[in-house]
Parts: sequence; structure tokens; C-alpha cells
Amino acid sequence: MTECASCADERAAGAAFCESCGRSLAAGPACPHCGAAGAVGEDGYCEQCGMLAVRPRDHLEVDGGEVAAAATDRGQRHHRNEDAMWLAVRGGDVDVVVCDGVSSSFDPDVASATAAGAAGEMLASTGDVGEAILTAKQAVAELATDGDPRRAVSNPACTIVAAVVRGPEVTYGWIGDSRAYWIPGEGPAEQLTEDDSWATHVIALGVDPEVAMRDPKAHAITGWLGADAGSVQPRAASFTVTEPGHLVLCSDGLWNYLTDPAAFAAAVRTGLHEHGTLINAARYLTDYANNAGGADNITVALIPVQPSAAEE
Amino acid sequence: MSYTAEAFQNEYLALGAAEVNAIVTVTSSGSEGGRRTSGATEIIIVDASGSMQAEGRINAARQAAKAAVACIDDGVHFAIIAGVGTAQQLFPAPGQLAVASPQTRSEASWSIDRLQASGGTAMGAWLLLAAQLLAQRPGDISHAILLTDGDNGERQGYLESVLDSIAGRFTVDSRGVGTNWKVSELRKIADAMLGTVDIVAQPADLTASFEQMMTNAMGKTSADVQLKIWTPVNSSVRFVKQVEPQVADLTGKRVPDGPRAARYPLGAWGKESRDYHICVDVAPGSAGDEMLAARVSVVEGDTVHAQSLVRAVWTDDTALSTRINRQVAHYTGQAELADAIQAGIEARKSGDDRTATLKFGRAAQLAHASGNTATEELLATVVEIEDAATGTVRLRRKVAAADEMALDTRSTKTVRVGRGQ
Ligand SMILES: [Zn+2]
Ligand SMILES: [Zn+2]
Repeated sequence: MTECASCADERAAGAAFCESCGRSLAAGPACPHCGAAGAVGEDGYCEQCGMLAVRPRDHLEVDGGEVAAAATDRGQRHHRNEDAMWLAVRGGDVDVVVCDGVSSSFDPDVASATAAGAAGEMLASTGDVGEAILTAKQAVAELATDGDPRRAVSNPACTIVAAVVRGPEVTYGWIGDSRAYWIPGEGPAEQLTEDDSWATHVIALGVDPEVAMRDPKAHAITGWLGADAGSVQPRAASFTVTEPGHLVLCSDGLWNYLTDPAAFAAAVRTGLHEHGTLINAARYLTDYANNAGGADNITVALIPVQPSAAEE
Repeated sequence: MSYTAEAFQNEYLALGAAEVNAIVTVTSSGSEGGRRTSGATEIIIVDASGSMQAEGRINAARQAAKAAVACIDDGVHFAIIAGVGTAQQLFPAPGQLAVASPQTRSEASWSIDRLQASGGTAMGAWLLLAAQLLAQRPGDISHAILLTDGDNGERQGYLESVLDSIAGRFTVDSRGVGTNWKVSELRKIADAMLGTVDIVAQPADLTASFEQMMTNAMGKTSADVQLKIWTPVNSSVRFVKQVEPQVADLTGKRVPDGPRAARYPLGAWGKESRDYHICVDVAPGSAGDEMLAARVSVVEGDTVHAQSLVRAVWTDDTALSTRINRQVAHYTGQAELADAIQAGIEARKSGDDRTATLKFGRAAQLAHASGNTATEELLATVVEIEDAATGTVRLRRKVAAADEMALDTRSTKTVRVGRGQ
């Protein structure tokens, strides 16, 4: 005898719909928590065990084939994914944005999604990284006075790192501690961005890096997007690649487990060589962080960049 | 009628935590133009026992009953019961209901003038007759006012058995005049019949009290509103309490409604807002899990007027899980305040001054901290509050019976969060 997962009515055997509550017995995904078939209600919660079954941001991927790929994952410890990403591929052109919500703010997941979307759309229309980040900054700041009143007390905030790749030309910019790396064919990863963080700040002032990184404040960021961000300006730079390699954008959920530039490069190369496609490599890197503990949300984007034919 | 239901909670729970608390505020804008969505029937029960002759009570009761009749809207059905050793219908003819009009209201007034005080007190019998009369009009907004001045004279347990048989069928607001009646008896009626209880110490104040009760009743536009609560498997509702405008435990009024769901009666509604504290025991999830701990709906028959979700999200981030939700903390305090006052009164009656001082001290502290000045003032009639902030109080040697009964009956009155803070 089949039992309706929604109302436990037993007359459901062989029928497509439950006689008692009318809910379809076949349609709908099974609950990933308790396995009840078709039990996930319209609001995304399982009608049986109550667990939130549908949570699209837990793991998202964008597969741009051979041009680019990106993946974001909730990790093991956080209750939701507060990272967000944007990846647009037009021919060989790539626009990419990675944002990481500031957990201590209210609705950080909304902040990151808002920033990634606003910056991504600006990149698509102008390709100007600095302008895109300022547009995102404005959009996140406006969240404080929009919607839930608790946002005014602890305004939504996030980091941002954005890049455009046009042929061999790479332009990138950032606010906060989400990073961009250049991984050449060989040798250690080159960190393109400099974190807006307490650790980076005191290391620049001469504190021993190991001491600085052990401090509980090490990861406190000194620049972010949000209504309370102040006059912080994005830093941006450009370069032209002269040898093939990969541009990598990521949130601290990944680089925290790979602070050594050589180890970071090695992990990316392992992903690329052993897992064939870019999307598989991106997935390998989110798995890597998850296996290392997954203490934070993890986002990574991979974009191969070739030098122009003339320079080869 | 348009309703809203809004949940206030800290959904973040520490790993292993299994208790989910939320305050759900239900607000109704009232029906279009304040028109009732069903008929309405009013029963006025006036104690006519011999003791009502004292202090001019019976005369005051006559004036009050007439004032209440004057407040009944045209078209509303009504009847008046004279409460003596049995229940006697004073108006209209026995077994009948009158339809309010200028004519029937003046006929009722004339009948009320003939009301004489002689006989006993039989609240069970009075309520039973009210139930029989109201049964003629199923689906109506059904309400009764009960006035008494003394102890129930029926055999032990009879009132309780009557209340069991009629609970939920109509609302009863009870008033005790003078100080020779028992708060616990009228509270029993209020709890079972989703009504209020209060003291009217001076017979002269009865008219205002009756007018207020009847006007309030005339403002009700929906008969039978309920809270439907769904919870997941391996979960159970620990309690459902109305916490504003006064504390009333609804947990025991649970009526199962389909798998994992039950209904709790909220009585008749007009344009108003009430707060409910819902506590659910769930099976703890792991870090990052989000559970729907309760789906709370405001329902009337098969119609769902509003819905609100009570969630649980497990996290190892203690900054999140230790956040105190203001609403939950406030109403937990208001419920404790009512309990502390009632325990203090009990202890004082049994001669346990030490416990009484402790309980009243805690009550003074809670009333002060939450800005419940009305309760703090009532407390001050029973104890000398030396320092409300620390809960330092001294029992007063002489306490007027009316003051203590006022504190007792009004101990469940709460204030909304934020008031006076
Ligand atoms: Zn069913
Ligand atoms: Zn389930």
C-alpha cells in the first residue's frame, strides 16, 4: 500500500494523485533528508520531516565550456551560501565576479547576490571593472533602506572581486578579501589582489606575517560594499598575458586552505590536469575545500587566457 | 476579513538544540465596513441570589444589564437569564431568543426592573441554559456576560463538568461584584470559554463594565477563528499561549486536524491584534540544516486567512544562536509575571510569607523591566516595592480584599513589547 507523503492517506496505491489531499504522488523531488517521495511542498520544505529541501544556492555551477567555468558551494559549516558569482561568456570574452557576504551583517546572502548581479550587468554593457564595482557598491548600500527593517541596524555587506578578459588583456579590481590569482603554466600562483584585511594591513606595517595570521583579527576585513562602507574605492589593475595560464577568482573559503602560493597553483593544476574540463576542475577545488573542513562558503572561477598570436 | 500573521523569533539554534520558540502576531483589519460575517447572539446572566441585596448590588446590576441591552445592535438575538439556585429565563419567554429592536430592548428593560434577589448561586446551571439557548443559532458569534457576587453553590465538580461539555461553543466574559466571590472559579470559566474575568469592586462601576463588555462583543465580526499549526514528524507542540492582550494557555484545547497538524480555537474576532507564543520540540538537525518547525495558519473553517513560518536553522556560530529575540524574551517574562503573582497570592493565603515575598519580588522586577506599569501599580497595593529593579519588596500588613482580587484577576494582563522601555 502506498501512503501519501503529504497526508499519510493509505488509499493512494496505484493512483497518480492522493484521494485525500489531491497532491500528486509521483511528481516532485524526493526529500534529500528523509527520502520521502514527492514530499517537498511549494515553500521548499519537506511536508514530512520539515527540512528545507530546495536550496538552489547550496551548490551552483556555470559551465562556459573551454572558455570559463565557475562553482560555488555552501561548504560544511555555514547554514547557507552567502557567496555569489557571475560568469558571462561571449565568444572569447569573459566577465566574472565573485562576492562573499559579510556574515555579521543582516542578509549577507542578499548583499552578495545583489553585488554580483549589479557588477555583472555593468561589465556586460561597459566592460569597465572600476565602474562595475562602484555600481555594485551603490546597489548594496541601497539594501539597508529596502525591505526588512533589521537591515538598517546591521546593513547587508559583502566583498567583491571582478575581472574582464578580452583576448590577452586582463583587467581586475576588488574591495575586500576575495582574491584574483594568475596561475602561469609553471611556478607558484601570483596573487593579483591585496586583501583589504587587518592581517594585510599590519603585515604592511612590518608585523611578522605568521604572527599576524594567527591573530583572531587576521581575517577581519577593512574594506567592503555596504551602506557603512564609507569612501572605500576599488583598487584595479590590468595586464597582458605573455604566456598561457589561468586567471582564478575565489572567495576566502578556498584560499584559506591554500595560503601558500605554490600549494594554490598545485591544487589548480591538479584539478585541470586530472579532471579534464574546466567545470570539473572548479568542482575539484570546491571539493578540496570541503574535504579540508569546508568552514566557509567556497566560490571559484577558472578562466584560461592565451597570449595574442603575434606574441607567440 | 483580512488577516496577517507575522512570526518573530531567532531561528538560529546551537547544535543539539531542540526547542524552537516564536511569537506570532495575528492582526485583523476587521470585515468590510465592520459588518459581521455571520449572525450574533448575546446572553446576559445576572446573579439574582439573596446576597445581591447587599450594598445596593441588585439595583446596580439592573442598571448595568439595562445599559448592556442598550448596546445590543439591531438584529442581534439576545436573552437575559436570572441566576438563582436554578437558571430562570427573565427575557424573552422561556426557551426563546429575542431579536434586538427598539421595541424588544425596552421590553427587556421592563423585565429587568422586575428582577428580584432571592435564592442561591448555580453557575453551572446558568451556563447550561445559556448553551441551550445559543444552540438554536449555530454559526452565530455567540457571547455571554456573567455577573456574580458569590461562591458557586453547586456540588463539587459540577461546574467543571458543565464547562467540559460546553467549552468552545461560545465566549463568556465574567465579572465578580464585591469581594465575596472566588477568582479561581471565574478564572475557570474564562479559561474554558476563552473569555475574560475581572473584579468590579464597587456596584456603581457595573454599568461601565457591562457597556464595555457589550461594545467589545458588538465589535466582533467573525465567529470562530482558529490557529492551525503543522509540525514535522518527530516534533511536538510543547505549548501554544495567547500572550497579548492577556495570557491564556491554549495548549490543552488542541483538536487534531490531519497528519501532523492541529487546530487551537481563538474565539470571535473583530478589528484587533493578538500575540501568540508557540514552542515546538523538534529533532535537532546538523550544522547548516534548515527546518520548518511549524507552519502557523489563521483559519476559519476551510479558509486560510494568513500563514506564517516558524523556522529552525542549526549553526555552530554562537554569535547567531545566542541572539535573544526581543519578542520571545518579553512575552516569556510576561507569562512568568502572571505565574509569579498567582503563586505569590497562593503563598500569602497559606501563610507562607517567605515564598510570597520572593514571588511578589520577582513579579515587581518583571513588571518594572517590561514597562507593565498597570500591573506594577496593582502589585504596590499588596506589597511595598522598595526597589523594583532588584525585586526587593515587603508584604503589606493590611491588604484590602478588593486590591488583592484585582491583582489576581488582572495578573494575566500583558503589555506589548517595547512599551515603556
Ligand atoms: Zn494525501
Ligand atoms: Zn523530508
